[in-house]
Amino acid sequence: MTAGLVASGFSTRELFHGEYLKALVGACIIGVVAPVVGTWIVLRRMANLGDTMSHATLAGVAVAYAAGANILLGALGAGVVIAILLILFSASQRLGHEAIIAVMGSALFALGIIIISRIDTTDELEHILFGDVLQLTWSQIVFNVLIGGAAVAVVLVLFSELRLASFDHVQAEQVGVHVELVQAVLVVLLAVVVVISLRTVGSIMSVSMLVTPAATARLVTPTLRRMTVVAVVLGMSEGVAGVALGQALGAPPGATIGLLAAVVFAIAYVMTLPRRMPHHHRPFG
Amino acid sequence: MKCLSRRTGYPPNLTSILRIDLILDIVPNMPVRAAVLPSLLEVIRLGVEYDGITVLDEISFAVGRGELIGVIGPNGAGKSTLFKAICGLVNHSGEVEVNGVHCHSRTDRMDIAYIPQRSSNDITFPITVGELVLAGRRRFHRWYERPAAHDRDEALCMLELVNLPGMQDRSLNQLSSGQLQRAYVARALAQNASVLMLDESLSGVDEPSTTELFEVFNRLVENGSTLLIATHDLALARRRFPRCLAINRRLLGDGPPDVVLSIDVLDRTFGSAAPA
Repeated sequence: MTAGLVASGFSTRELFHGEYLKALVGACIIGVVAPVVGTWIVLRRMANLGDTMSHATLAGVAVAYAAGANILLGALGAGVVIAILLILFSASQRLGHEAIIAVMGSALFALGIIIISRIDTTDELEHILFGDVLQLTWSQIVFNVLIGGAAVAVVLVLFSELRLASFDHVQAEQVGVHVELVQAVLVVLLAVVVVISLRTVGSIMSVSMLVTPAATARLVTPTLRRMTVVAVVLGMSEGVAGVALGQALGAPPGATIGLLAAVVFAIAYVMTLPRRMPHHHRPFG
Repeated sequence: MKCLSRRTGYPPNLTSILRIDLILDIVPNMPVRAAVLPSLLEVIRLGVEYDGITVLDEISFAVGRGELIGVIGPNGAGKSTLFKAICGLVNHSGEVEVNGVHCHSRTDRMDIAYIPQRSSNDITFPITVGELVLAGRRRFHRWYERPAAHDRDEALCMLELVNLPGMQDRSLNQLSSGQLQRAYVARALAQNASVLMLDESLSGVDEPSTTELFEVFNRLVENGSTLLIATHDLALARRRFPRCLAINRRLLGDGPPDVVLSIDVLDRTFGSAAPA
């Protein structure tokens, strides 16, 4: 990889200084935090919620931008609103979570589009949508470290509760786990990941860092702890390699990271295919 | 085995039951043993409605310690709903009492363990057998506490009790159907539950595994646990259960299999689709 970058006229020294260093640090942060949360999103089969969240935060960003407030806090606020709405609407047995999530996501995305169409926007909003890791500032990195570190800490503390509620929510409720609260915490953590993603891979691509490394790790590891560790290693590697590769090829870093993660997933999927084939299937047995 | 009580030779959660038995054995031929001890579980006029449709209608019965009960009824009769209502997992009318104490919330019912249908959990979930059984110990901890060494010992002990020694590091999808059910039973025992409700756990389990499961069930019953097992296999119910409950929205029969599996009760339970 490094040899290829150098051959394309991109010096190693340049890579590790100034905006590139910040970009690499930013990619590492999202590469750690997103897979830690994403592991649970994949295991609970909630990837569509990640997609919804990435779109819905647009409303929070737009409202905060129009009000002159911090747009990251606006995005976080949108995530908290979704968590609360999910709890309020979860009592409805006629509709599954998926339908409610889709309705909320599209409504908040539509709200965001309408607000943005009414205000004068600068490049900043475009960076939010598609990300620009090279524009990261040290203060934004510190903010991402703080809220990302808090998210990882919450997952570690709630590890057992998450496992119980994710595997068998009926038994979890029986032994005293507050399953709905655990679900709400997970949604807020999801919002944190989207907020951290805004400046790096962008809100639209955030689901790629959230789901793809964790899904790849799920294919190649048998245990939960190993899955988390492998997802983090993949997330960091893909983040760093994506920034470098994007820079070398002149492609947007966020999209490069997303594509790279998908390629790694595809390779893992093909390589593990024989293992996942049903062994007992013998057509003439 | 280090996890068994030195005095009784049984797991710690079963020693109190044995103590009661010992006390009762001191007074020979005590005729009113069942009357002295309150029912372990009493269900009083329990009813469940979904969207205005009555799924369970005023079901009442009582069970004592050490009973093995088959709950029979056709698909959609309300067997699973009955179990969930007893555990407080669905809203219901009527009352549930455990050890003579009226249950107001789910936490009052932690002595009851519900083992769901095999298909309701994803067995490819990355969880080991040991971690599954350890999940039963959660009721003894706060949300931020980790299981202690004695919880792990207890979990290993329960795995031995259900004939799964040394299987704690296996993934769930490496187990056979019968082994998986026994792992769930071990989790319920680790929860210190005295009433175990198994929902269609025997469906799809082959005969040797069923025999092995019932060896475990009978051992648990001898140790004072009570098991309610939902099944629609009437031949199995006739062979294996000393007491059966026939349910189809209402309780239509309660007693030994000879009575409950009579043509009259089966007709009322299964209607025209009554199995031969």
